[in-house]
Parts: sequence; C-alpha cells; structure tokens
Amino acid sequence: MRDKLIIGRMIPTGSRVHGLDPRAKITAMLLFTAALILSNGWPQLAVLAALSLVVLAATKVPFKTYLRTLRPMRWLILFVFLFQLFAGAGAEAAAGSGVVWTWGPISLSGAGLSAALLAVARMVLLIVFTAMLTFTTTPSMLGRGIEGMLKPISRGGTGAERFSLMLRLALRFIPALLEEAQTILKAQAARGADYEEMNVRQKARLLMSLLVPVTVGAFRRAEELTTSLEARGYRIGAPRTSYRQLLWRGADTRFTVLFALLPIGALLIRLIS
Amino acid sequence: MERENASAVELRGIGFAYEKEQPVLQGIDLRVGRGERVAIVGESGCGKSTLVRLLNALLTPQEGRVFVFGEELTAHNAPLMRSRIGMVFQNPDNQFIGESVEEDIAFGLEGLCLKREEMERRIEAYARLLDIAPLLHKHPGELSGGQKQRCAVAACLAMEPEIVVFDESTSMQDERSRRELLSVMNDMREQGDYTVFSVTHDADEMLAADRIIALRGGGIRGDLPPDEFFADEQLLRDCGIELPFRLKLARELVALGIADQDQGRRTKTAAAKGGSGHERHEPYGQF
Amino acid sequence: MSGMNHTDSSDPNGGIAERERETVVELRDVDYTYQAGGPFAAAALHGVNLEIGRGMLIGIAGGTGSGKSTLLQLLNGLLLPTGGSVRVLDHTLLPGMKKPKLNALRRRIGLSFQFPEQHLFEDTVEKDLMFGPLNFGLPREEARARAAAALRSMGLGEELLSRHPLSLSGGQMRKVAIATVLAAGPEILMLDEPTATLDSAARRELIALLNRLCREEGRTILMVTHRVEELLEVADRWIVMHEGRAVFCGDADELADRADELSAWGLAVPEQLRCWSEWTARLPQLAALPLPRTPEAMARVIAEAVRGSRAKPAASDALDERIDSQERGHDLCATN
Repeated sequence: MRDKLIIGRMIPTGSRVHGLDPRAKITAMLLFTAALILSNGWPQLAVLAALSLVVLAATKVPFKTYLRTLRPMRWLILFVFLFQLFAGAGAEAAAGSGVVWTWGPISLSGAGLSAALLAVARMVLLIVFTAMLTFTTTPSMLGRGIEGMLKPISRGGTGAERFSLMLRLALRFIPALLEEAQTILKAQAARGADYEEMNVRQKARLLMSLLVPVTVGAFRRAEELTTSLEARGYRIGAPRTSYRQLLWRGADTRFTVLFALLPIGALLIRLIS
Repeated sequence: MERENASAVELRGIGFAYEKEQPVLQGIDLRVGRGERVAIVGESGCGKSTLVRLLNALLTPQEGRVFVFGEELTAHNAPLMRSRIGMVFQNPDNQFIGESVEEDIAFGLEGLCLKREEMERRIEAYARLLDIAPLLHKHPGELSGGQKQRCAVAACLAMEPEIVVFDESTSMQDERSRRELLSVMNDMREQGDYTVFSVTHDADEMLAADRIIALRGGGIRGDLPPDEFFADEQLLRDCGIELPFRLKLARELVALGIADQDQGRRTKTAAAKGGSGHERHEPYGQF
Repeated sequence: MSGMNHTDSSDPNGGIAERERETVVELRDVDYTYQAGGPFAAAALHGVNLEIGRGMLIGIAGGTGSGKSTLLQLLNGLLLPTGGSVRVLDHTLLPGMKKPKLNALRRRIGLSFQFPEQHLFEDTVEKDLMFGPLNFGLPREEARARAAAALRSMGLGEELLSRHPLSLSGGQMRKVAIATVLAAGPEILMLDEPTATLDSAARRELIALLNRLCREEGRTILMVTHRVEELLEVADRWIVMHEGRAVFCGDADELADRADELSAWGLAVPEQLRCWSEWTARLPQLAALPLPRTPEAMARVIAEAVRGSRAKPAASDALDERIDSQERGHDLCATN
C-alpha cells in the first residue's frame, strides 16, 4: 500500500523555497492569510494570486500536485460558494439592489455571484498556499519553526515543545490512520457492505461503524508510540540538543518582507477606496 | 571472567498487574549477566513484553525490586537507565518518529544532548552498520517494513546502549527481512558488547540465544539452554512452541533407529549453532 | 523392493492428482497499476496468468511488495484489473468496465485481510459474525445459524457469541475475525497472512483448521504467506509472486526442484526442503522420490533407504534402473 494522501508530506525538489527557514515560511503564511482576509476586491486578489503563482513555481513541485490537494476539499468549496451566493444575494435583495433573478425566497444578483466567487478564490489560494508550506517543509522543521516562534512567548514553559511534538506526530500519523480506515472500508466491502454501492443513509451507518475500529486502532498506535518515545529517553521538558539548527539568512528576511508588504498594501487599498 | 560475572539485570520477587486481582507476573526472580543473550518465550499474553518493560521502568512493578547494572531502578535514575537500555518493538511504523531515517535516528540522540558533529558521526556509522546509508533521506512511507525495522535498530544502537531488548521485532517481517534482522542480532552477539533480550515466538531466535526463559502463568516455567529447552516436549507445549521440522525429523530418525540417542542430541546442538539458517547444515545420522 | 512399495502408498500427491477439476479462478495476462495515469502510478502486477481448481488449498508466497495482496483484491473485485481479464466463478472482471454490483460474487469468495481482528467493529461477536450474511441478504435467523456454524468451524465454542470482540484473547480474535468472513458461506476463502505474529503452535492449529475447511467442507482456500514452511505439509499447489509476476505455479515437488531460486524470490528455503536435500545428497536414490511432507513420512522414507542400502550394497544397478523409470514418470507429469 502506498500513502495516497499527499498533503502533510514534504516533496523534495531541492528548490530555494525548501531551503528557507521554516519561521520565515510560517510568518509568510500568516501574512498571506491576513492579506487574504483584508482583500475585498478582484484587483487585490489578482496580486495575491500572481505572487502565490510565482512562489509555487519556485518550489519546483508540479502544478498538478497542487491541484490535487483541492480535490478532497471540493464539497466544502461548493458549500462556501452556494452559501455566499444566497446569503450575499439575500442581503442585497433586502436592500433592493441589483437582483437579477428571483425564484420564491431565492434570489441571485451579480454582486452576490461576484462575492461568492471571491470567497472561493480566497479559499483556493489559502489551501494551495498551505499545501506549499507542507510540500516544502518537513513536519519536524515546521514543528521546530513553530517552537522557535513560540519560545519567546512561552518563557521557559514546555508549551512550545508540547505543541511542536504534537504537530510532528499528528502530521506523521494522520496518513497512516486514514490508510487504516481505508483498509477497514475494504474489509467491510468484502463482507458485502460496499461503500460505493450504498445510499446516503447506509453510508452514514457504515461510517459510524468505522469509528470503533479506527478509534481502537488510533489508541493502539498512540500507546505503542508513547512507549517507543519513552524507551528512547524522551521526556517533556528534559534538556535536548537539536540536530537541525534553524538558520536565518538574508533570503529569509527578504521573503518575509515581501509578504509583509501584502497585508499593508491591502490595507492601504482598502483605506483609499 | 569478571565481566561475565557482573550482572546486567536482576529482578527480585517481582509482581506486576495491570488490573488488580489479575496479576500478569508473580514472584519473578531472575539474574542476567553482562553479555548474555536471553530469549524470553511463552504463549501470547503470558507477560513476556510486560517483563522487559520493567527493565527500563516503562512499567513499575507493584512488588519486588529491579536492579540494572547493580543499581536499583527508581523514578529518579530511570531516565539515565533508559539511555543504557535500547528497545526495538514489533511494529516498525509505530516507532518511527522522524520524517526521514536521518531525523529518526537523530531524535534519540537529541535527547542525549549530543553535539551536532557527534550526532552526524553516529548517524553515519550506524547507518553504515545496518546498511541503510542510502535510505537516510527517505520518508518512512517510501520504505519497506524490513527497511523500517532496520532503521529502528539503527536508531536504537546509535544511542549506544549496553542492553538491547528486541520485543517481537521479527514477527511482522517477511522472510528476507527476518533473516536480515537475525544476522544483525547474531553480529551483535558475536561482537559481545551487548546484553540482548529477545521476546520472541521465532525458533531461530531462540536457538541463537544462550539461555531461554519460558514464562507461564505469571511465573518462570523454565530457564534452560536451547538444546535442553527443545528436548523438553511438555515445556514446549506449555509455551505454544512447535518443535522445528529439523528437530522433529531428528527425533523420528532416532525412534526408527537410524540415528542413536547420542547423535540425536548432537544434531540438536548443531541445529542450535546454525539455527539462523544461512549456512548448509551437516546431515545428521551416521550409518 | 518392499521399501518402494511402501513409499508409493504414502505418496502425498496420490489424493489430489485429479485431472478434471472445475476451474474457479482464471487470470489471463492480468496487469494492475495503482493510480493508473496519475503522477504516483505504481505497477503492482504484470502479465499474471493463473488457473485455480475447485476444492484446492493454494499457498501464495512472496515477499513484501511482491503483489500477493493486490492479487487477492483483484479476485473479489475490490480492484479491477488495468489489463487482461479476471474470471472468478461465473463473473468476469475487465479493465475499465463500469463497476458492477459485486455482492453476488463477494458472497461466494470471501477475503480476510491481514490482521483481521483489527477490523471487528460490533459490540458482540455474534453481531460481527452476522454482518456479512445480513449484507448478502440472508434472513436474520439464517444469519444467526451461519454465525454459530462459522464459529464452530474455526474451532471456537458458542459461548463466545455474546462476548465483546475486544474482550477475547489475541488468538481467539484472529479466529473470530476469520469466522466473520466464513459466516457468509463462501466457496472460495482467501486469507492474507492469517498466521502473522501468531506463535508457532497457534499457527499450526490455524492451518489445520483451514485444511479441514478445504478437505471436509470442500472450500477452495487461497492463503497468502511469506513462510512456505508452515503450509508445505497441506498445500496442494503453490503460487510464488515476485515483483508483481507469478514466477512459479506448481506443487511442492516442483517447488522443491526450484529450491535454489527461492531466496532470489525473497523466500526462505523451508526446513523440509533443506533437510530433504541434505539427505538426498547422502542417499542419491532418494532424489527420485516425491518430497515427504511430514517429518514422520520423511523419517520413514529415509529409514527405508538406509536399510535398503545396508542390506544390498551390491544392488545399486537395480536401484539406478528404478530411479530412471521414476524420473521418466516425473517428466511425463511435468509436461502434462
């Protein structure tokens, strides 16, 4: 069996983005998200999209791979689209402006459609950018990055270390748990309960029944994992050295500054218009 | 001689239960000398894995005392002791913490507070020893079960422990990986620097031990060298162990008068010596 | 001469050399590629051709990643071939076909995955056993009867029916999990490494149960293992998978002839073959005989040969002649 889930797994291409300090990438990610939230029009989004395209290209990870990360999210994206479409349009209909089409309580407007598309574009950019972060950074580097950023805040406590370990283990083991769930589904299919042949109610029941073996499996794994961590002398708060030193270079500063410009720019455009 | 007499592990009057009223181990007394190689056997659920987890305080007994290198194991010295006892478990997936082989080996070394140069040296040395140097930068998802298990052994040995515990480490492996692991274990034995415990169902692993400790009903049912162990049919049955084909055949031949008792015993020893099954065996029985 | 007669009568192939068996599984040039066409495409099977007769106990051997688990999943339609054709009972599975409703097939060919005890999910053993039969449309009472019968077939008592699966011992859980597949009454039972991580006595017991399912209940059994040794005594035929190809199909004697290749296929030479080849090196007249499967049979054959050579040291000509005729017979069988 091969790991089918691709998010949460670094794809080594040796690009310059891979070599950046994880702290720079996480900061960039936060700034990018802020810029997305602050952007309320197509021109700003176009700038963000263009910049993320440049970064994606720089990672040397095939573009197709990024598109594949969107697939599991397609229903959520559709939901956000429809929700924005009708909620936005409803609000405008109440204001009595721009309604182009009405059917009973449902009405559509050009502005509503634009808002819905905008919401989808934001979401797609966010997902793809997150994928960029995980494709270019191993979970342990992400963990170390977050730990490094949280350390000044947590002031000698073990919060940052706990969080970093949790993140590492989660990213490492979620694919394995999903694969396990997939095997159980196959075993159910072999016993006459084929998920793909079922109606919605049966599907819901089958997924509920998965909860037991998946939970039991997760606990078993967690227990073995803690034993193995302890056996290797791991203790929260115990002194450790670090195999990978985080190294902040000029490129990291430039990368972060570039991304810092985004929310500032978005804010300025908002203030002007 | 002195070294051999020094004890690596000593258990005195150990009692352990996960739940009250259901003791898993009772009244266990055991002494294992430095450099010994011990196989711990018995039916599933007889407390084999529990026993070895007491050695590095992964579990704490309700009764009795555990001594490691002559020092009593306490909550205080447990962390230090853990660095002297390495463990390799059954499922390689659930002991792989890093996202690459290199990071996984480094994980334990970071806990030892080693300098980066020393970590690099050990990673390189132990990867070479276990023949996984080309895999150092691979993600565990890209490795086979056997490769993962060899990485687990490398990660364990890189911490340079004095006692190594294999807890059913070969049982999930395919034949090729099982043999590779067995030869790693044999090399470790020949090198003589390690005291090795292996919890196992595998006859080859048992045959390669100096001493077999059989658990049953929470106690030690037998503590014998392999040739005597495999000669005791009742003991084998009690431990859920099937006599290996080679020994069964030898026994049948003795019964048919093709080989005499004495030769039968010698074949057992021969099988024990070459039990890991690489080299050709001398056919037994003279006529 | 009496020795020869003796071994003839104990020939382990005697009972299964029937020519006219109904073929229940037939694979023609089967390819399978995971995520075909995608960026992570990985071929798992190449040009596999196989035929399996009804009522046989088949051992499928191979190392990790040899494609043996993929093979099983092709046979009950969990995977569709990406090339060639798979015929199982009266169903034919072809590449790119619209996924047919497969329960009619899956009722008749059961698959027990590796570590099946991890897939139990109901709160009693009985409910778990009834899950399959109910899905395949059996009435509740019938399903209940099947559940109890399956448990008995696996050598377990009915007092387990009301227990929670997680309260059983490891060995019991394994057998219950296999019984959940058996409960649907499949004609073909496929098991993926059912003996993994069990101790040797439990392995032997499980294999004896599977052998009984085959001989007494007439089920076709396909068992994947990486340990040829454990199944050699009872398997009628062997399929060896290596790097996605079926590199060997035949019985134990033919496998014995190719013992040299086993380690290249990622398999250990089973102790039976090892011991046998040591003895045949010593007593060349043994080489012509079929491989005795049990230690008792092997010891008997060896004893006969030893006594024969002790009694008539000058009879080597007669012996050679016998071997010649034996060998010719063997050749005829192989080319058939």
